[in-house]
Amino acid sequence: MRESTIMFLHYVTAILIVITGLIHLLANNDPVIGATIKANPVLYLGNMAIFLAALLYHAFNGVRVILIEMVPDRCWTKWISWAILIVGIVTYAVGLQVLMVALGFA
Amino acid sequence: MASEEAKEYVLPPEVLEETMKASEELWKPVRKIKFRIYKYNPRKDYAPYWEEHELEVSRGMTVLDALLIIKGEADHSLGLRYSCRMGLCGSCAMMINGKQMLACQTRVLEAAGSGDVVELRPLDNFPVERDLAADFTSFFEKHRAVKPWIIRNDDVELNNPTGPYKQTVDEYARYYQFTDCIKCGACLSACPTAATDYEYLGPQALAQAYRYIVDTRDNGLDVRISVVDTEHGCWRCHFAASCSDVCPRGVDPAQGIQLLKKLLIKRKFGFKPHKPAEALPAKVKAEKKG
Amino acid sequence: MEAESEFKEYYAKNMRGISGWFKARVYTIERWLYAAHRITGILIVLFVLAHFYSTGWHPGLWWDALLGIIVTFHTANGIRLILAELGFAVGKPLLIKKPSQRPVSIEGVQRYVVVFALVLFVVLAAIWAYYALVVQPMMG
Ligand code: SF4
Ligand code: SF4
Ligand code: FES
Repeated sequence: MRESTIMFLHYVTAILIVITGLIHLLANNDPVIGATIKANPVLYLGNMAIFLAALLYHAFNGVRVILIEMVPDRCWTKWISWAILIVGIVTYAVGLQVLMVALGFA
Repeated sequence: MASEEAKEYVLPPEVLEETMKASEELWKPVRKIKFRIYKYNPRKDYAPYWEEHELEVSRGMTVLDALLIIKGEADHSLGLRYSCRMGLCGSCAMMINGKQMLACQTRVLEAAGSGDVVELRPLDNFPVERDLAADFTSFFEKHRAVKPWIIRNDDVELNNPTGPYKQTVDEYARYYQFTDCIKCGACLSACPTAATDYEYLGPQALAQAYRYIVDTRDNGLDVRISVVDTEHGCWRCHFAASCSDVCPRGVDPAQGIQLLKKLLIKRKFGFKPHKPAEALPAKVKAEKKG
Repeated sequence: MEAESEFKEYYAKNMRGISGWFKARVYTIERWLYAAHRITGILIVLFVLAHFYSTGWHPGLWWDALLGIIVTFHTANGIRLILAELGFAVGKPLLIKKPSQRPVSIEGVQRYVVVFALVLFVVLAAIWAYYALVVQPMMG
């Protein structure tokens, strides 16, 4: 992927995080709105799935950016990107599983 | 008649006196300033050391003036680079009290502020050549990497020009600001990304890339994308804007980089680069023939 | 001999290293925001990992309010950065410059965007702190 695609997704996920993160926070902290969101498990789980994906992409890409600025060697840059990608996917899979178990979907 | 005209140009004595007074005021020593100068020759010295010189400075004296006095009177071995002494050649950028500035454009008292020490170091994030001179090899390589020249496909016209390329003032205004760059290196030195990332193209090269990409005579957007849109290209800029802050020529490279990013994103969504300008038939030739 | 040449190379390269990211004193406010954005980003990643691996963990009362400051700063400044990095609110290149022209991207609209981001940060952090310190303890 071109760097511009990666960074464009970085910005898109940032906006997604603000929206879905707000829902996540309200669900767990606001007694009134939270109850309505939690009453609808599909909305809650769907929101969490998007939130988790966006957050992980944004967070791990941020770490990647910091790492390749710290270790600018071209060879390392490639390995860092792959390692981050794999760690990110594994974390997403585990996270989704935990969520489904917690909400009684699996 | 002629003598009358000549007379008009003679300054009236009171104005002359005032001017002389002002210039005397400007060059009268006012304060003792201590210069801490970084000395290091990587081929010889084990580690850098500091040298201190005291100098009576006047209001008009620039850091470069002071350095030349020190070099002439106290330490002949002092290494520094300068050429034009008027902010045009970009040779003399250095760290003056911790900030990238041109030595020839900064007055000593301005740099010292209320204190009386001026600390001089070579540019950060550049290899040291000797003392205050930095090694610009990689900097110029990065500039060359973005192909800072007009790229066109019409070889016939390029090799046998029939006239100037058409360009309106509005089109000129899109890139004029960036043509003022004197390659002094202050921006790359100030950039936080460059503090660790030596592969980073840097604000100067990226601003120049933008300058050529938006030039209507140029047709090189897609060629330059492969250079600027990489891991160490324009996306490693995080808009800390220090490059624009220190640029002595008002080039504003930070703005250029952000606009370049906008252009790349637009290109991703199918925005077509401008059509390269056509050559106007040369007027002189046409008139002669007609 | 080996150590000596490394020592020499360190001075000959003259790179500021990671401390260069945080050298903000002599520059404009954007540099402080850049440094803070990076630090808060790293802290949020650390929190998020802890929050995942022992599901739902969060640090509790006052620490939650601190977490709010970190997260809301990253949010507010992030909005400013998205605007700037996509080429909005950085002004247009100049055709006519004053003798000592200050950069438009710093001293144009961007000034207001910075102020807006900081105000947004304070407001969001206050709301978060209200929830962390008042609403959460009530919910038990
Ligand atoms: S952009 Fe400004 S600071 Fe950078 S090299 Fe050009 S003139 Fe110097
Ligand atoms: S705006 Fe970008 S290129 Fe300029 S100093 Fe900041 S990070 Fe570096
Ligand atoms: S000596 Fe030419 S820019 Fe200072």
